[in-house]
Amino acid sequence: MSRTIITLVGKDHTGIIAAVCNYFAENNINILDISQTTVQEYINMMMIVDLSKYTKEFPILVSDLDAVGKKVGCSIKAQHEEIFDMMHRI
Amino acid sequence: MLELNEVFETNKMVSHENLDVRTITMGISLLDCCDSDLNTLCDNIYRKIVTSAKDLVRVGDEIGLEYGIPVINKRISVTPIAIVGSSACKTCDDFVKIAETLDKAAVEVGVNFIGGFSALVQKGMTPADEMLIRSLPKALSGTERICSSISLASTKTGIDMDAVKLMGTIVKEIAEATKDKDSNGCSKLVIFCNPADDNPFMAGAFHGVTEADRVINVGVSGPGVVKTAVSKVKGENFEVLCETIKKTAFKVTRVGQLVAKEASRKLNVPFGIVDLSLAPTPAVGDSIADIIHEMGIEYVGAPGTTAALAILNDQVKKGGVMASSYVGGLSGAFIPVTEDSSMAYAAEIGSLTIEKLEAMTCVCSVGLDMIAIPGDTTASTISGIIADEMAIGMINQKTTAVRLIPVVGKGVGDYAEFGGLFGRAPIMPVNKYSCEDFINRGGRIPAPIHSFKN
Repeated sequence: MSRTIITLVGKDHTGIIAAVCNYFAENNINILDISQTTVQEYINMMMIVDLSKYTKEFPILVSDLDAVGKKVGCSIKAQHEEIFDMMHRI
Repeated sequence: MLELNEVFETNKMVSHENLDVRTITMGISLLDCCDSDLNTLCDNIYRKIVTSAKDLVRVGDEIGLEYGIPVINKRISVTPIAIVGSSACKTCDDFVKIAETLDKAAVEVGVNFIGGFSALVQKGMTPADEMLIRSLPKALSGTERICSSISLASTKTGIDMDAVKLMGTIVKEIAEATKDKDSNGCSKLVIFCNPADDNPFMAGAFHGVTEADRVINVGVSGPGVVKTAVSKVKGENFEVLCETIKKTAFKVTRVGQLVAKEASRKLNVPFGIVDLSLAPTPAVGDSIADIIHEMGIEYVGAPGTTAALAILNDQVKKGGVMASSYVGGLSGAFIPVTEDSSMAYAAEIGSLTIEKLEAMTCVCSVGLDMIAIPGDTTASTISGIIADEMAIGMINQKTTAVRLIPVVGKGVGDYAEFGGLFGRAPIMPVNKYSCEDFINRGGRIPAPIHSFKN
């Protein structure tokens, strides 16, 4: 299983998570976990997703999410989970 | 399971605190390229580098994208060229031809620097060593991407003072040959005592003869991350300060370890070491001087600076060693003046002097680095500064280095501008009294005693 962390930062409004989730549904990406906080109208969201059924290359996911982010006025990043595990777990 | 705050902490380090992987450096042995015919040798060198490193830049960028961490530089280090070229080169121009070949190979694979135009002469010079050294003014002024290092001393062998004397003259000649660019040729030459065979950082990187055929070494960075962490423990005692630096260094190094392993896997080249050095850049906030300021020193160079730097260097090592399976290279804090904007400012206001920098080199990872001095400084004075720094490394069993830039046509009060990662700095005053008779003695300084340490 190829686990990837999606992070989203931006001004909160309706439809942000829906837009991201729609993209995942269309591309066979399964969401394993979601957590989010909203502080003073700003949304911080993190998702752990499984890319094992995703058929495109990783750089395409990055640029697609960038496009989705632009549409909803947020910054969306995709990164392999390992970098966070390495940094925060011994 | 990962927490939201952990993920955002990592990403904040990248977006706000300049966390990056400073370099993925592929070490390539050129020993199997040796030939007594110069053209064959150059063909062999070009072919080996281009074949070995053809995917280096692509893989570096790919890793950067997958993990969301910038991989700033992709570089190559090679076997010291004085060894590789010893049977083929009969004149200095023959060595210049090898330099041009290396430059062409660097352009072909897309790396910004290639290190290893080097000679190891800590006990004496072979004719090839001397020819390579004498070819430096032409080699460094006629190429773009070549970095050179010359080792003049070690704890085991002492100091080759003939070579120290020669290097004073050569540094002046390189400065003269690149005078239209503020003598920037000198920024690509490092003079070493006890050099590291696996250092991934330029300009001092070379691929030691004890290394494998090819190897991946990674240099991490992150002065900005350490600065932010230190600023959060303002006023706390030294225990808290040290723990904070140590934990931060651990996190930064883990990123380097991950990138190194991944680069090694994708390129199918063995993983060598992670170099834990904190390397500043001229970017705001990416400064060693700023960390020292956050530790409670008004400006770097003020009393207390050496102690603060000693803490920083030691805690970075302590945190980093646990984070990586193989640590090597220089591993410590770099204190280049021109490449660190706050360091350059401290020099401008008179807080930081060359003498204080020399004291700082006793406790940090390298030495007198990227210091612009008046263009009319004599060759013997430059040799004297080199000899002092070599002596510190030799006696204290550590790597020390000198990268001085006598900027032709400029004096104290002027600014040297190198641009990009090399930055800018004021010309620093040099002690005006002479050491000419000392340097002119010639010969070697014997290796130091390894007992009676006081």
